[in-house]
Amino acid sequence: MRISIPPSWRTRVYRYRLVATKCKKCGVTLYPPSNICRHCGSREVDQVELANEKARLITWTVIYSTMEGFEKQRPLIIGIVETTESKARILAPLTDVLPGELKPGMIMEPVIRRIREEGEAGLVHYGVAFRPELTTSALNTS
Amino acid sequence: MHTLYPEEKTGIVGWGSYIPRWRLSLKEIAEVWGFNPEQPEELGVSEKSVAGVDEDAVTMGIEAARNALMRAGINPKEIGAVWFGTESKPYAVKPSATIVAEAIGATPYSMATDWEFACRAASEAIRASIGAVASGLIKYALVVGSDTAQANPGDVLEFTASSAATALIIGSREESAAYFEASATYVTDTPDFWRRDHSKYPLHGEAFTGEPAYFKHIVGSVKTLLEKTGLKPEDFDYAVFHQPNGTFPLRVARMLGFPREKVTPGLITPYIGNSYNSSALIGLARVLEIAKPGQRILLAPFGSGAGSDAYSIVVTDKVEERKHRAPIVDDYLKRKYTVSYSLYAKYRGLVYRVE
Repeated sequence: MRISIPPSWRTRVYRYRLVATKCKKCGVTLYPPSNICRHCGSREVDQVELANEKARLITWTVIYSTMEGFEKQRPLIIGIVETTESKARILAPLTDVLPGELKPGMIMEPVIRRIREEGEAGLVHYGVAFRPELTTSALNTS
Repeated sequence: MHTLYPEEKTGIVGWGSYIPRWRLSLKEIAEVWGFNPEQPEELGVSEKSVAGVDEDAVTMGIEAARNALMRAGINPKEIGAVWFGTESKPYAVKPSATIVAEAIGATPYSMATDWEFACRAASEAIRASIGAVASGLIKYALVVGSDTAQANPGDVLEFTASSAATALIIGSREESAAYFEASATYVTDTPDFWRRDHSKYPLHGEAFTGEPAYFKHIVGSVKTLLEKTGLKPEDFDYAVFHQPNGTFPLRVARMLGFPREKVTPGLITPYIGNSYNSSALIGLARVLEIAKPGQRILLAPFGSGAGSDAYSIVVTDKVEERKHRAPIVDDYLKRKYTVSYSLYAKYRGLVYRVE
């Protein structure tokens, strides 16, 4: 399946720098960013960058039957994390981790990864993924 | 008293590295391809770092650049050049540098381009950055050396070809954690290692690898630097050379009169292999993370084809506080998990799949 180039290009900064929107009225932070607060309906929102925030792992799923184009990434782990300060809930791939190492509440951090590519000749789409924080002692070593 | 070298107006404001989590044991490569089991020991390397399936030179370069930016504590909009040195860029045509620049927030007024000179591309970008900063053309330059090094499976190069990235932010001496004193370059046309257009893996001119390439060019650049400055090996506290394996840097150090103990703190290849454009630079990053103000570092990257640059770098009192602003090389060395040859083959695209 081909990803259309214009939306991928339009959202690049949101994906690379984890730009979200924070509602001026109710304070809720949303990612992906939205011009309208989905919590209170306000149109008064500020853009905020979350790339330097850590996040807590809420839940995840390990996908063994992936859609076309994700065969190399099997098993694909997709998680929901909540950023520690702004409390934004983000759905993203989890990386640098084995399925058995994940635990609810684990501290994660955002990184930029190849999310998908269009065959050998097409575009490479980069985006945000979350990995267990670098200095954690919760991972296996060998 | 010599006239002020342009280098002395500039220095390293921030630095940062990145090493992927995955490792492959060289013993397993020897077993798969039927090499002498002693070969890894002879190379002085036990494991090599392997970029994951969702990583490439750009993603690794971005993390190294972010670490450098955290250490520098500068506004990315003030970066006037994003120069990306690699020989494993994801696109043949479409700059990696613009993706890095966009990801760190340095667009749209920065120069941005990819440099090519085998393992030395990023090093030439450092010299060019010194010129651009010293002249006042730009305030800061970001140089990234990043590679997911390729090697023909079963070729002896496969033992060491690894993945890592290092980024330096070059700015004025006053703001620097370490300043440049002087630099020198030595290049000739040498057929030691190459990759033709459309060829997936590099080839190498066996007998040309050691003496006529690595040793001749590093000795050439370092001797030129020492003659130019009047400095002697004993004036340096650390010496960091390009490190294609664990033994060449120690041998070239001996040839130049640097004792082993000045080389080993910046010798990273024994643990992660040869990360090409990051090879010498990650050694420099580790040394900056242990060095004390006032200490002097020799840095001598090398690239096939062939050339070497030598830099004399003096650490300032800003180094200690900047070190703690981002993960250090040792954090990445500790975060490791060994994968099988089969997983490595999948991660690095050695298994052909029709898409």
